[in-house]
Amino acid sequence: MQKRESLLEAYLKRGFSRRAFLKGCVTLTSLMGLSMNMVGKVVEAAENTPLPVVIWIHGHECTGCDESFIRSASPLASDLVLTSIALEYDHLLSAACGAPFEAHLDETIAKYNGQYILCVEGAVSTKDNGIYCMSGGHTFTHLLEKAARGAAAIIAYGSCAAYGGIQAAKPNPTGSAGITNFVGGKPVVKVPGCPPIPEVMTGVVMHVALFGTIPPLDGDGRPKQFYGNRIHDTCYRRPFFDAGMFAETFDDAGARAGWCLYKLGCRGPETYNSCGNLRWWQGMSYPIQSGAPCIGCSNSNFWDEDPLTDRMPKYGKLGDVDKIGAGIAAATAVGVAGHAVASLVQRNKRDNLLEEHDDH
Amino acid sequence: MKSVKDVQRKEYYIFSPFLRIFHWIMVASILILFGTGLLITKPALVSSTEPTFTVMSMDLIRDIHFITAFVFCASFILRIYGFIINKGDRLFPRFWEGHFYSETVEVALHYMLLKPHHAPFLRNPLARASYAGLYLMVAIEILTGFAMYFMTEPSAIGGALFGWVNTLLGSEMMAHYVHHYVAWLIIVFAIGHFYMVLRAEFMEGEGEVSSMFSGKKVLAHVPKDANELD
Repeated sequence: MQKRESLLEAYLKRGFSRRAFLKGCVTLTSLMGLSMNMVGKVVEAAENTPLPVVIWIHGHECTGCDESFIRSASPLASDLVLTSIALEYDHLLSAACGAPFEAHLDETIAKYNGQYILCVEGAVSTKDNGIYCMSGGHTFTHLLEKAARGAAAIIAYGSCAAYGGIQAAKPNPTGSAGITNFVGGKPVVKVPGCPPIPEVMTGVVMHVALFGTIPPLDGDGRPKQFYGNRIHDTCYRRPFFDAGMFAETFDDAGARAGWCLYKLGCRGPETYNSCGNLRWWQGMSYPIQSGAPCIGCSNSNFWDEDPLTDRMPKYGKLGDVDKIGAGIAAATAVGVAGHAVASLVQRNKRDNLLEEHDDH
Repeated sequence: MKSVKDVQRKEYYIFSPFLRIFHWIMVASILILFGTGLLITKPALVSSTEPTFTVMSMDLIRDIHFITAFVFCASFILRIYGFIINKGDRLFPRFWEGHFYSETVEVALHYMLLKPHHAPFLRNPLARASYAGLYLMVAIEILTGFAMYFMTEPSAIGGALFGWVNTLLGSEMMAHYVHHYVAWLIIVFAIGHFYMVLRAEFMEGEGEVSSMFSGKKVLAHVPKDANELD
């Protein structure tokens, strides 16, 4: 791509009308979680801003985020990749391979130094010098550090890139970690989720692409417009929670009636994501709607907070904290009762001694 | 055998009304918070009830928990005021003074039934150390509690003030775990505290129980920490 075109030019070149372009801009505005009075700014940006160059790299992960991404319906992932961004390098979606492909990465980094958006999927493998995740003959850490140096913005897609992901679960044999500490201190937009919602993925990259700035972030580096609410607070089953109507098992009447899944370990009260309002596959459904408690897949440590179908961790035959706590409390009560008896014996002994002392 | 009543005793005024009122608010709060907290983690089973007429309202239980928590936090104003105006309210263990350790060991040996008695104290050092531990646990409960409570709106002031707790713990679920585990520790403390106070009452007859109503204790010997009230 020699001259980088704007979104408007891309539309016109492909035979779309300006009307179609404006419609697209309205759609984009809502997708990026912006209010409708921002449409003017979106149109302006889409008319003038050259399409951003994107480098998309994959580390220690399952590429499930891409599986989610390519199912984005509005905009279609194909539209985004082919017309809205200039995707120069992508491990998964590129047809090219081998040395020319790697050479193209170096060219892109050199040519668009300081301008390209770096999208990262997958964790960094830190143990044994990172040999558990290799790419193009080098460790992924090497690739990430190289690509991050000249990036205008970095987006961490998925819980792996954001926090380390499933492979970081205890005992974390590969030393997996999120990318934050391997990008030379550059700000990272975290888009956690396992995988993230497709429209959230496209929405965040489009925000960076159109406005050239990263979206407003919360304290953890997540875009506020998509991660500003708990699933619990946006859940359509919330009224059942407030009324105390819970499914006790996965096959009881409550579960069939669509009651709250809190007692089945739902992580909605601890999870920040857009599942409750955007939902998945164009608003078709989301885990809780289909009867599965949320596992909190966009949380920083969800993989170690098992069992996912219970509120509190269990310790084998000892049970959970309530059982252990009640046991300790009972043992304490028995202990103090024994101590009371022993204390009385001790007091009598002491008093007898004092009396003898007085007699002499 | 001499009754505890035959001994000549001196009355010491120790606890201000502010500390005493705070103490009883704390007792009620901890009981309510613990009960409702257990119900929030594991809501009671409502079976064979028409849902519309359910008696188990999670909303209500959560509201009771939250209101009690706010009342408990507000009652610390009394505790702090008493701390400022009355020396007897200053119960922090004096671990920067050397005799604190030897005295604590002595009291501990007595409680382990290895020593027949310990030196008299107005507020014994081991008990004071345990209160410091209680305040630490309460502080953890307050921090994790507000960190969960205010995160309905992470960018509002409450979220900004307490959101860091979740970050520090690694995840918000961990805040739930810590909150619940420490609640049990507080209950274990309460059982121990309840027993130790009754024991002191029966063993020494110094008015340990009534001191939390009247503010006074009656001692037969000059307590080692009497100078702290001057």
